[in-house]
Amino acid sequence: MRALKPAPPFFMTDSLLQDAPSAAALPEWFTKAKASATSAFEALPMPTRRDEFWRFSNLKALDPQDFTPARPVASEVCEELLASSSGIKASAGRLVFANDQLLARNTDAELAKTGVLWMPLSEALHSHSELLSRYFMRTESVLGSAKFQALHRSSVKEGSFLYVPKGVSVSAPLEAFHWLAGSGQAVFPHTIIVAEEGSSVTMVDWFKSASEARNMACGVNDLHVGAGAEVRYVCIQDWSRQTVSLHANATTVAERGSATHLGLHLGGLFSRIESLSRLNGAGARSDMLAATVADSAQEFDQRTLQDHRSPETYSDLLYKNALYDQAKTIVSGLIRVEPQAHKTDAFQKVRNLILSPDAEANSLPGLEILADDVRCSHGATTGEIDAEELFYMQSRGIPARDAYRLITFGFLNEVLERFPDQTVRERLQETLRARLHGH
Amino acid sequence: MSLVIQNLHARVVGGQEILRGLNLEIEKGRVHAIMGPNGSGKSTLSKIIAGHPDYEVTSGEVLLDGTNILPLSPDARARAGLFLAFQYPVEIPGVSNANFIRAARQARLAEGEELDAVDYYGELYKEMDSLEIPRSFTARSVNEGFSGGEKKRNEVLQMAMLQPSYAILDETDSGLDIDALKIVAAGVNAQRSSNVGMLVITHYQRLLDYITPDVVHVLVGGRIVRTAGPELAHELESKGYDWIREDLAESASA
Amino acid sequence: MSTEVISQIDVDRTRGDFHYPEQHTFDAGTGLSHATVDYISDVKNEPAWIREFRHKALDVFLSKPMPTNWASQDLENIVFENIRYYLANSQRPTRSWDEVPDDVKRTFERLGIPEQERKFLAGVEAQFDSEAVYSNMKKALGDEGVIFVGSTEGLKEHPEIFKKWFGKVIPTGDNKFSALNSAVFSGGSFIYVPPGVKLKHPLQAYFRINAENFGQFERTLIIADEGSEVMYMEGCTAPKFETATLHSAVVELVALKGAKIQYVTVQNWSANVFNLVTKRAIAHEEAEVRWIDCNIGSRLTMKYPGVVLKGRKARGEVISIALANNGQHQDTGAKMIHAADETTSNVISKSISIGKGRSTYRGQVHIPKHLKGCKNNTECDALLINSTSRTDTYPAITVRGSGNSVQHEASVSQVSADQIFYMQQRGLTEAQAMSLSVNGFVNDLVREFPMEYSVELKRLIDLEMEGSVG
Repeated sequence: MRALKPAPPFFMTDSLLQDAPSAAALPEWFTKAKASATSAFEALPMPTRRDEFWRFSNLKALDPQDFTPARPVASEVCEELLASSSGIKASAGRLVFANDQLLARNTDAELAKTGVLWMPLSEALHSHSELLSRYFMRTESVLGSAKFQALHRSSVKEGSFLYVPKGVSVSAPLEAFHWLAGSGQAVFPHTIIVAEEGSSVTMVDWFKSASEARNMACGVNDLHVGAGAEVRYVCIQDWSRQTVSLHANATTVAERGSATHLGLHLGGLFSRIESLSRLNGAGARSDMLAATVADSAQEFDQRTLQDHRSPETYSDLLYKNALYDQAKTIVSGLIRVEPQAHKTDAFQKVRNLILSPDAEANSLPGLEILADDVRCSHGATTGEIDAEELFYMQSRGIPARDAYRLITFGFLNEVLERFPDQTVRERLQETLRARLHGH
Repeated sequence: MSLVIQNLHARVVGGQEILRGLNLEIEKGRVHAIMGPNGSGKSTLSKIIAGHPDYEVTSGEVLLDGTNILPLSPDARARAGLFLAFQYPVEIPGVSNANFIRAARQARLAEGEELDAVDYYGELYKEMDSLEIPRSFTARSVNEGFSGGEKKRNEVLQMAMLQPSYAILDETDSGLDIDALKIVAAGVNAQRSSNVGMLVITHYQRLLDYITPDVVHVLVGGRIVRTAGPELAHELESKGYDWIREDLAESASA
Repeated sequence: MSTEVISQIDVDRTRGDFHYPEQHTFDAGTGLSHATVDYISDVKNEPAWIREFRHKALDVFLSKPMPTNWASQDLENIVFENIRYYLANSQRPTRSWDEVPDDVKRTFERLGIPEQERKFLAGVEAQFDSEAVYSNMKKALGDEGVIFVGSTEGLKEHPEIFKKWFGKVIPTGDNKFSALNSAVFSGGSFIYVPPGVKLKHPLQAYFRINAENFGQFERTLIIADEGSEVMYMEGCTAPKFETATLHSAVVELVALKGAKIQYVTVQNWSANVFNLVTKRAIAHEEAEVRWIDCNIGSRLTMKYPGVVLKGRKARGEVISIALANNGQHQDTGAKMIHAADETTSNVISKSISIGKGRSTYRGQVHIPKHLKGCKNNTECDALLINSTSRTDTYPAITVRGSGNSVQHEASVSQVSADQIFYMQQRGLTEAQAMSLSVNGFVNDLVREFPMEYSVELKRLIDLEMEGSVG
């Protein structure tokens, strides 16, 4: 195992890329799949609430016709966005995109020597086409948004490609920023991580808007965790309050591999979040975590699947929602244990904290167990702040409003605490604190 | 009439060998004690005799009054007269103690024969009283929420109710304070008779102050390495198991 | 001695598996059309409003798709044209077992019904195919104003109460099968308990399907007036035929202010029965409704008893045991619709899947905006006996607004190997040990059933467990 020292902070030194994107032809497998995805998108019907995967969803917000593929951003705006791209203090590499175009990139010099590939998708399509083709959108959409994944597939231009060779352990996190600017525009961010046997890596994705305008994001993640490998991934969804966001994550874990996927969901008007964890080998483990702050008229529609395909696999899901104002959340989670997947442990917890008389929380925790000799459980609770807890804080002199905020922070922080990387965890806590400020 | 263990070799299914040629004869009316250091195989010995599916016998025999019980299922061994007081009694939610013991008694009757409920309860209450088990325990689920001492008393109660010809008490003293130990020991002593042979498995000599054995064996490395009278237990208590190991090493090199 | 229940009642799983040759005077023939509806209405000599109600319902049924977007595809195997919708010998039940035709009487005697009536029931209705053949209630209850009659008699003789509530708890168009029942319903009970009357003993209905290719569509309406209390028990059996039989009931309960209704079901259908039942209650202020439900047998059961908690401090409860054996799918659950402040609901569901059996829990809990102090607690536990057994849980919980508390927990487990070994060491066979464990698993719920039923339940579970081990 070769460990890397964290790189010095360098976001001050990032500068805008001047080179025009490569005009060379895209690989055939990519363009072919793009063509078939275009027809698939047109052929597939728009989902309705009668579809089990869209039960309780507000589909009115979702019409791709309202948006056009994002246009490049003016260079003075780019400068601004770059300056605002403050993420982890010590990262091993950064990519900054705006409207699906690369603005800046940086890779720790040591990192490159280990054989780790860290580059924009547009570059990987040329330089590592064969490798990419083996992992790019290989997991079928099973949580309802096949139509939107087809849209992504037909429109995707840019994203992050991270490849960690066998046995390499990257200690400092890598991070990517995806900015969305303009109005009525659509972006299709993609993140693909391939962690080979025994490797280890942490990556952070930031999704942010340049303004409050109404836009759309339709992203897809492919996380491939090899045998005995460890991938820790965080997505901070902080789009503007007018953004319609669809994001589908597919994690596959091989034997003894371990994946942690954490979503900190803060922005957007309507956010559809799908997360699949497929456990393919004995000893595979997946931790699925999400903390959501929903206020105003925000809606977060979260659908998950813990798919146990091999014996002796483990998954643990914890999704927490704090709801203010007229916000609405849906968490529909399914644990599926296939007939052969004996000796499986699968757990699922959904917790909703309702802080307003007008907010709505929907929980649909599901189990489909086709094997015996399993330990599976799920729990869903919905409630308000405990009066005793509030009183206790007030008795110590804390004003009610601060007490509410403290308790809410603590409620969501329980999710963040489960993320193994301390640097990232602290940055997430800072972001959450800022988001709760004013409530 | 005796329980005879002959040259018994056994291992974890597909794994490590635990018993390596163990010989032992427990006569009716006598109490044998097996002592041994941690990991010597004394607790697994009881499970192997009772037929726990995690272990397999690779050679040897266990003869209960002349019949080899090794081909029998655990329940057939029990009905043949073997009783095991578990070190860690299992909790069975929703099944009341009274119904459980009754089902075990019923299983010992011939086809078509029905247990007399009045006699059964009379006997059960008598045994419970002597073990200082409150009556409310009949309706409670087997071992569920019982303290360590209550669980062990419940094991002795079952032994009394099922009247085995050979009983193995596996670390019956573990997890007991001195008062609980006295009650349990008194319960066991009350059942000593010419009709039952007992094997008491323990790590400490303490239990043997209350249940005095006729014979003491020392188990090391899956074999009985020494057999003597009750005084052996005291010797072990003062000298520790290393003394036996050193002794063994000497005789091996000699 | 609370767990020691001794009883002479002997109804078992195989006991319902017999039938007598059919001799029906009234037969609506095979298939379903407006003519079938007219035939039923004619034979029953019904008032015009109910005939119209039936025709409208048939149109709704025909226009509604099968709910296969979420439910089992097995529903597609119901061939509505092959089913007979009305079979009877008479439209009026007798008040005396002596007047019941011999073969029918023999049927109910074999099922132990007259004996149970003598022992512990306040009243009995026995339905044979489409109509009740026997209906009787202790005279003293009639004197207090209690009404316990069949649905046809109820709508004709007590229209002022019947019409007010009929179809109000479960509208015709609630689902495809409630529409079907509304079109062709026959039999079932109509019960009215006057204010303050508390029935000490249960009323019981027994539903028996005797004919092949038949559909039974009983309709039950129970109204418990202010401060009254009633327990209603239903049992169901059918002989095993090669062809599919359909049972599709609608049960509506109304508990007025402070009233208490307990509705107990022990279903033991044969494995060719599609059992698609809609059951719902309205609980007014401080009223309490408990559905106590045990589902054994049938090919596919779909049943989600519900309570609409309409009045302040109303309480709703569903206690459910389901046992799915080879070839069976128990798709059961509960719906709790909170519609007033400080309403509470409780759902406890335990299922056992044996062999290739499949059990499914579907739940719905709904707390709308601006309610305060509502509470729901749901627990679902599933036990899997064999490696081929399956269990699913699909709850849906919606809470709008703070000030309420909802919790749902579910677990899946199997009987532990240590438990089995411990019991075997005491001399029980592996099968006996497994049976005891399974009975232990549901024991806390079995206790919620009246004693006479709990004994029967334990026996049914033991019978179902036979052959599942080794």
